[in-house]
Amino acid sequence: MIRTFGIAATLTAGLIGAAQAQTVLDVVAWKGNEAEPAGLPGLIEKFEAAHPDIEVELTYVARKDVDKVIPPRLQGGNPPDVTMVDSALVDLWGGAGFLTDLGTDSPWYDRMVPAVREVMTSDGQILVYPLEVIGMGNFVNMDLLANVGIETAPVTLEALKAACQALAEEGIAPMIFAGGFPAMLFVGANGIDPKGISPAEYGTGARMFVEDANFNASLDAVRDLVAAECFDPALQAGLDPWATAPQEFRAGNVAILPQGAWNIGTFSDVEGLNYQFAPMPSAFSDHGLALDLVGPGWAIPRDAEHPEAARAWIDFFAEEENLRVFLEAEGAYSPYVGGRDTMPDLAAPYTAARAAGSLILWPFSTLAFPKPLQSEWEDSITGFLLNIDKPNEDTLQRWDDVVEDNL
Amino acid sequence: MRARHSLYLFTIPALLVIGLFFVHPIILTFDMSLTNFKGIGEAKEVGWRNYERIFSRDRYIREIWLTLWYTVIVVSALTVTGLFFAAMLHRLPLIRNFSRAALYTPAMMSFVVVGYVWQFLYSPLNGGINVALRDLGLGGWEQNWLGDPALALYSVAFTQVWMFTGFTCAIFLAGFAGIPEEINEAGRLEGASSWQRFRYLELPLLGPSITVSVMLTTIGTLKTFELPFILTKGGPDGATRLLSIDIIDNLFGQYKFGFASALSIVMLVIVLAVAFLQNKILRDREHAQ
Amino acid sequence: MSMTDVHSAPRANHGADWDQIRRRAKSILVHGIVLALVGLMLLPLVYMVMMSLKTSTEIAQDPLGLPDSLYWGNYMAALSSMGYLRSVLNSLGITLSVIVVVVFAGAMAAYPLARLENRISRVIVMVMALGLATPNFVTITPIYVIFRDLGLLDSYLGIVLAFAALKLPLAVFFYTSFIAAIPIELEEAARLDNCNNWQIFWHVIRPLLAPVTATLSLFVMIMVWNDFIYPLLLLTDKDKLTVMIAVYKFVGNTGIDPTKLFPAAVLGSLPLLIMFALFQRKIMAGATAGAVK
Repeated sequence: MIRTFGIAATLTAGLIGAAQAQTVLDVVAWKGNEAEPAGLPGLIEKFEAAHPDIEVELTYVARKDVDKVIPPRLQGGNPPDVTMVDSALVDLWGGAGFLTDLGTDSPWYDRMVPAVREVMTSDGQILVYPLEVIGMGNFVNMDLLANVGIETAPVTLEALKAACQALAEEGIAPMIFAGGFPAMLFVGANGIDPKGISPAEYGTGARMFVEDANFNASLDAVRDLVAAECFDPALQAGLDPWATAPQEFRAGNVAILPQGAWNIGTFSDVEGLNYQFAPMPSAFSDHGLALDLVGPGWAIPRDAEHPEAARAWIDFFAEEENLRVFLEAEGAYSPYVGGRDTMPDLAAPYTAARAAGSLILWPFSTLAFPKPLQSEWEDSITGFLLNIDKPNEDTLQRWDDVVEDNL
Repeated sequence: MRARHSLYLFTIPALLVIGLFFVHPIILTFDMSLTNFKGIGEAKEVGWRNYERIFSRDRYIREIWLTLWYTVIVVSALTVTGLFFAAMLHRLPLIRNFSRAALYTPAMMSFVVVGYVWQFLYSPLNGGINVALRDLGLGGWEQNWLGDPALALYSVAFTQVWMFTGFTCAIFLAGFAGIPEEINEAGRLEGASSWQRFRYLELPLLGPSITVSVMLTTIGTLKTFELPFILTKGGPDGATRLLSIDIIDNLFGQYKFGFASALSIVMLVIVLAVAFLQNKILRDREHAQ
Repeated sequence: MSMTDVHSAPRANHGADWDQIRRRAKSILVHGIVLALVGLMLLPLVYMVMMSLKTSTEIAQDPLGLPDSLYWGNYMAALSSMGYLRSVLNSLGITLSVIVVVVFAGAMAAYPLARLENRISRVIVMVMALGLATPNFVTITPIYVIFRDLGLLDSYLGIVLAFAALKLPLAVFFYTSFIAAIPIELEEAARLDNCNNWQIFWHVIRPLLAPVTATLSLFVMIMVWNDFIYPLLLLTDKDKLTVMIAVYKFVGNTGIDPTKLFPAAVLGSLPLLIMFALFQRKIMAGATAGAVK
């Protein structure tokens, strides 16, 4: 009796063991959780169906915690099989040799939009498979604008100022201009000429912000907005751009919010909020300037345990129909040429600007501007708003100082 | 006397652990502070350059003073509120359990949640506090709580005190529990009022509790990072940029591990110095009682 | 300080009644004021719970008002993706184990430090202070490397040791202060009875530390329960994850969604609150026992 049991048990264990001779693919990403699913749960199911011998375990780690939690694993030789990275991490981890070269002969490499391809290739190596390019611009509450008789989202500086005046007269708060991010979008859109000086020149110290005509004009343009009653600088300077500002927009308390397209999901959840996503009014374009943020991608760490399965994961995302699911959930554009547009109608003005070539890649995401400059922009533009009449050079000089420090 | 020295054997488990988990990493951090390590890959020696930078720039000196000042405010407030609630609750046994649990609850929440809720309350546009003031007819008192550089630090301090009053209250309640009943009885028989009993009988006997509370809150507040970061990220324009925030920014925002390590060592030295000073003062006071 | 004795002979009936009424009124007033203050402290958390019961649209329009109706949908959604039961058990197990280790090792270490005031003690105290003063991020990578070398990654033992190590300085600090307040006569009496160090510690000192142990346990409980960085770093097996990591899944990268995060946060902190409520009685018993010599 006991022997029969023993044999049965061993056989069962053997069967279970055999069934579990699967590869477990360890994926780390800052998307795919409850807050930012990005279509990943569904894509994982599809991937596992297509690869029955691979089981995917996705661990969500917020972007700011990735810096703490992944480097020890990379250095300890125990990294995930696939990790999400952005340009800063590619520079850092790739520069230290911890990422695998995916090969410029990969089929998707040539399909990359040239500007993105240039940014992501370092030393002839491509260490990341870019997933998205995500827009940043103005969210515009069309109902509030309609209240003052405006039917289209403003995409020029003149239209913006006119809208502000009209709204202010009706007692509607026209615009959010928090120093920490929204203001940065405006200043950047009016300081970087898509057909002019490359941002990299400022970032390397070849050019100074202080003497630059464009950026001086940009700060002046901010003062123009204040004069047009778009916002109260003292009030907006320290406003939190990530939670409080979107909340005000969702509540219908403010008409214009400069932010990123990643908010589309939560804004669309609010019933009755009629809005559009438009490019940033800029001195350099009549269509408004689209500010594209080069988004994250997948990378395979050097010491990954299952590199072939990891490669299969990347090839899966290289298939257009799969990437499209991701992009649609994210509200983002494809970094590859020829992909079908997945953006909703409410982003029509932004898409139109892109189509017209009126777009720049956000320099902080391409590392044309060094990382320390980003916090300096946040701080100094907040300071500028608190003290709006102080000379431009007070603010611009701080930027040059940080660039110099960084060299 | 030998029997007494063998007592030190008792400290071995703790010492082993502290050595492995603290002394070793601190030595590593110090080594890192002499390099320009980026968190991963190679580290290049740069000598004392990081420290020179810290002490020659306004920014870091300002942060150090700001951190010290912030700590003074928070610790003083926490000690007062903790003592107040503990003294009251000690005399009001009916509501003691409920109140202690209630005071503790803020500390039990995670920082992200607390930060978000308070950011909401402090919002200048339609935040809870301003709306409440408006409804009470005190609209003139509305402020830009987190956006006004003059106010921001105090608003953050207020939230921190709100969050940790339960801690200090708990420490003091434990201290109160250690005061023998006879002393209170004697005081009451003598006809002393509640306040007099507190001031002359209970307070002196709370010596150890006060020491523990002040020292722990000081060290904790000097190191504090999550709450100020979530509320203001150090803004507006550095008005609430505590040393810990700059360390994290250098560490994970800019990947300047070497420099951040130097800042960490500086912070460590400051915390130790303050701790020892406090320890000396408070224990001397205890012994003098 | 002798004033008119409040227990003096009763005056006319009126006077005695008035005294009683005044005292009663004062008591009610004081109780009321303290309760009101405590209630004010709870207000932000009440807001949080209210927000967790609203829909997205409701929050957008009136973030701080009362919910129109109790919308449990958010909680349902949160529960279905949290693996709640398992993660709560993990958190509980880990937290309680850490408390036990920390209390023992800490009290043991504090005993000589409180009693023997000499050079050795001072050095050891300095080392302990180092542990208290170290910022958290300094220890992350070294602990990971040490654990990897010891094979302690992805194990309950490992995470308990890591947390215990991190909270030990706090315990030592607490106990050193309070042991010093215990009168030395008790030990001397025990020594006269020929007890050795361990017996004195276990039978004389330890019971008297009850209120301190209770308070310390609470602190450690909260800190370990809410920490998600170390579990995220040291645990990879899905079945071992703690409840705060489950809550963490509801946090986004830019801003948060209160309809998603708050229900999860309430669910995550609920066991902690319950544990606290349960332990309250133990604390009260311990506290009074301590006072009675």
